Amino acid sequence: MVSFILRRILVSILILIAASFLMYMLVAYSSDPLANLRSSSSPNKDRLIADLVSRLQLDVPPPLRWGLWLGGAAKCLIPFANSCDLGSTISNAQVTDILPQALLSTVQLVTLALILAIVFGIMIGIVTALRQYSGLDNTVTFISFFLYSLPAFLVAVLLKEFIAIGFNNFLRDPVVSWFWILLIGIVVGAIWQSLIGGEARRRLIVFAISGAGTAVLIWLMSATGWFEKPGIGPVGMVVLIAAIAIGATALMAGLQNRKALITAGINAVIAIASYFAMQPLFAISSIGTLIILGIVALIVGLVSGYLVGGYDRGQNLRVGAVTAVLSSALILVDRAMQAWPTYLGDVNNRPIATIGSSTPNLGGDVWVTGIDSFTHLALPTVALLLISFASYTRYSRAGLLEVMNQDYIRTARAKGLPERTVVIRHAFRNMLIPLTTLVAFDVGALLGGAIITERVFGIPGMGNLFSSALGPGDINPVMGYFLVIAAMAILFNFLADLAYASLDPRVRVR
Amino acid sequence: MRIKQRTVRSAVSAVAIAGIAALALAACTTSGNAPQSTAAQGGKVTVAVVNDFTSFNNQTPQANLDTNGQVGYLDGSYGTGFQYIDNNYKIVHDDKFGTFKKVSDNPMTVKYTLNKDDKWSDGQPVTADDMVLAWAIASGHYDDATIDPGTGKVTTGTQYFSIAASTAGIDATAYPTVGDNNTSITLVYSTPYVDWELVNPIAQPAHIVAKKAGLSSAADLTKLLKGLPKGDPAKPVAPNATLLKAAAFVNTGYDVTAFPTDKDLLVASGPFVVSSWTPGQSLTMVRNKYYAGGLKPNVDTIVFRFIGDANAQVTALQNGEVDIINPQASADTLNALKNTGATVLAGDQASYDHLDLTFSQSGVFSDKAVRQAFLKTIPRQQILDSIVTPVNPKAKVLNSQIFLPNQSEYAASVKGNGSSAYDKVDIAGAKALLAGKTPTVTLMYNTKNPNRVDEFQAIQASATQAGFKIVDAGSPDWSKKLGDGTYDAVLFGWISPGAGTSALPQIFGPVGSGGNYNNYGGTGKLAVSTQTMTNPSDVVKAENQIDKQTFTDAYGLPLFQLPGIFGVSTNVTGVKYMGNQNGPFWNFWEWSVKKATK
Repeated sequence: MVSFILRRILVSILILIAASFLMYMLVAYSSDPLANLRSSSSPNKDRLIADLVSRLQLDVPPPLRWGLWLGGAAKCLIPFANSCDLGSTISNAQVTDILPQALLSTVQLVTLALILAIVFGIMIGIVTALRQYSGLDNTVTFISFFLYSLPAFLVAVLLKEFIAIGFNNFLRDPVVSWFWILLIGIVVGAIWQSLIGGEARRRLIVFAISGAGTAVLIWLMSATGWFEKPGIGPVGMVVLIAAIAIGATALMAGLQNRKALITAGINAVIAIASYFAMQPLFAISSIGTLIILGIVALIVGLVSGYLVGGYDRGQNLRVGAVTAVLSSALILVDRAMQAWPTYLGDVNNRPIATIGSSTPNLGGDVWVTGIDSFTHLALPTVALLLISFASYTRYSRAGLLEVMNQDYIRTARAKGLPERTVVIRHAFRNMLIPLTTLVAFDVGALLGGAIITERVFGIPGMGNLFSSALGPGDINPVMGYFLVIAAMAILFNFLADLAYASLDPRVRVR
Repeated sequence: MRIKQRTVRSAVSAVAIAGIAALALAACTTSGNAPQSTAAQGGKVTVAVVNDFTSFNNQTPQANLDTNGQVGYLDGSYGTGFQYIDNNYKIVHDDKFGTFKKVSDNPMTVKYTLNKDDKWSDGQPVTADDMVLAWAIASGHYDDATIDPGTGKVTTGTQYFSIAASTAGIDATAYPTVGDNNTSITLVYSTPYVDWELVNPIAQPAHIVAKKAGLSSAADLTKLLKGLPKGDPAKPVAPNATLLKAAAFVNTGYDVTAFPTDKDLLVASGPFVVSSWTPGQSLTMVRNKYYAGGLKPNVDTIVFRFIGDANAQVTALQNGEVDIINPQASADTLNALKNTGATVLAGDQASYDHLDLTFSQSGVFSDKAVRQAFLKTIPRQQILDSIVTPVNPKAKVLNSQIFLPNQSEYAASVKGNGSSAYDKVDIAGAKALLAGKTPTVTLMYNTKNPNRVDEFQAIQASATQAGFKIVDAGSPDWSKKLGDGTYDAVLFGWISPGAGTSALPQIFGPVGSGGNYNNYGGTGKLAVSTQTMTNPSDVVKAENQIDKQTFTDAYGLPLFQLPGIFGVSTNVTGVKYMGNQNGPFWNFWEWSVKKATK
């Protein structure tokens, strides 16, 4: 194992060095940072060219210049010396200063998109696999392939036009027309009946109830001015938290499992109590407060699960933790909604933003800035999500179908296990193994930023750094970008190999 | 029994958890009163710009970029102060900030007097010390460096301040005379300088530069400068350590990658000061409460938002996130902009494309008749219609090598310069001039620029009809090949400075001048002589003459100015089109907001 790791690291370093040479040569020979100056009519043109040549050492031939660059980059490996030298840009900014800023923007943008893509992708993959060749399966397959094939800039433009500008215009007079209420009701009803499945009669009932319920809800929201002053309200909170508790139990343990149900119930009660008790604390909270509260919620969930005990403590712990964390998240969402009217005032009633990741000079408390981040990152996140989640639905659908046809699943069914246990415990886990590779690749690739998405949404991330530096032949930021991307790709490939070995007992690393 | 015990245990742990949580929470909360968003009085204008900000001093070679220049225009470090340039490229004096006038022609003497109320944004007065420093920076007076033209490295001597602008002209001044209770300086030029009116002796605050150089006051810096001799590259002396320190601060100390913790960098003399900057996102400037000059703004805050993508700028305008945009102009962008309901201002940029012919002895264009014949085949109107008209329907073919159409001198110069001979494509005339010859013309252009490719194709099609054989010498490395004699004609662009004549000796100067890639010697002496003219009417006369001479000699043809568009929210008034690098910012003091927004 150790020798495997050492060998991999050694080979990775060699690959990195060779690739950086290739990249440096490609950039150095294909672009000319002096092009603008050469066609200038300035009286001191020669002086300006000489200045840039001397600052960027353009008089040194590229292969040797790569050697100088590599020497500076190698200093990054010295721990704690802070002597990293990746050169400077044409405008005299140190690459080591701008690279972390860009990386942070990218991480902020892609993290949520990646998590949501994985969660939704797997969820939809499972559902479509369980309802194979149904109307739902075909529709979802069609939609996900359609989205997968859309170019990023088109998705971005559509989102901006309809979600941002359209929704903001809607907020000027937030009344939903009858046409839209009916349409949304029908669509939601159709989705539910397809999800629940069964005979025609059952489907019809599901369709009617869910469709009518949704339509009435939207009509109520529209009639009560909910879009201007959104909130869940005490009754809504109680109902939703109860739903979370029951849902978590049903999915993870089954409702007949009394201990799990008690754990979930305890957490739901604590959550409802803290919803009422914590409001004054929320008014003075900072981001640190919220993180601590989140950790406390997790601990409360785990501890309550442990204390309730029963024959399967591990399961109880999970049910407790999931209920506590999801209910806490719901409480936070409710509190953030209370800050919505304030935020609307700050941004002239046009909340959904099309560019950047924050409103300049916003000020305000953690709730307002939180909403601000949400309204800015919503569109780019959705754009990335729509494009990337399709592959996850495909992989997880195919994976689950394959696993479900294995002998051990038949054995599990034969010994009388409920379908929930068969799917979640026996099939789901094995389906996840091949997905680790995909996730590892995607994490590595996503850190490279989404060049087009970042550009159209004005987010100064890694992709933006790369594309804006490549144009004028600004080689040092390009190489800084390359270094991070290449190192991440190699690292995550490596991690994927290790994870595979530890997840699948059939694989050994030597 | 067991159940009871468990309940007790749970209760105990619950209490313990609650206690720990309370402690942790107490240590991690903010004060109860959330800071309110700043209330608006004069309102806020948000402008979309393409590039990020990189430096508070835009006059160094590395920081001479559009956004830095615009921030400098607003904070008074460049382009505003004693004068500014209006949208007709006229120099306008700001007498409220200070007055300057030429007091003598022989030797040329210019006196700058500050308004006594002028203050920097930290409350310190603007004095002659600041003007002396600005002069020292702009003139390169103390430099005695010899620079190797190949590597750009200093071989002997010292180069103190490194600046993007040329020292030509100002380098002929002696150390200025300070007077009027330290509020005026007088510059004496040993040789007259035609663009004296563009010299603005306000740049960085002397008291800050002095502080960074380890001096106690601006007066000490002035004393130091006064005591140092003029640099002579032939006889370099040991560098002055204090001035080196001051220069190092001015050269690179203003370059930033994040909002500076050192507030000294923000100190400015203009109507606005930078108050915050989030790299890659936005930069905010607020009023300088000490500003006493004439460019008093109506609005309280100007926010720059960095949006590289032209379509993203349009949607941001439509969504109310920005008020003014200046995207790269294209027909698509214009259409998208028209659909938003915003005010669209279209016009010409200061940069223009032109066709130049090479005047070498052996070349195909050594014969004037061939040059004229070739120029007669250039379909200028067709090129304009295909490239510019879709964006700016009012655009016209550029008919002067010197002036831009919104300059007052343009009309008269065009009337007399002979450009009318090339108004229309004249294949028959060209054939007559060629008299049966079929010359081969190697035409170079930038293959990466779609406009130039279109121009090339249009010219190729038209010139071939007259019997020319056009060789496609398009190259992405075109700029390296300029002036190397491998082509007979070249298509590329100049950026007209608008005000000022510094480009004249470059482009139309004697063979070998920096921008004279064409071996053209017809206007060399005249172009150089403009630089020392003292009478503005002489300058215009010389410019008209150069303009005419180039057409007479069939030097080449100006083609068109690139189009520019601004989109302006209906909430903002007072924005006017401007073609130079300051773009919509040129009259920021005239902007006002109809409905004050937060």
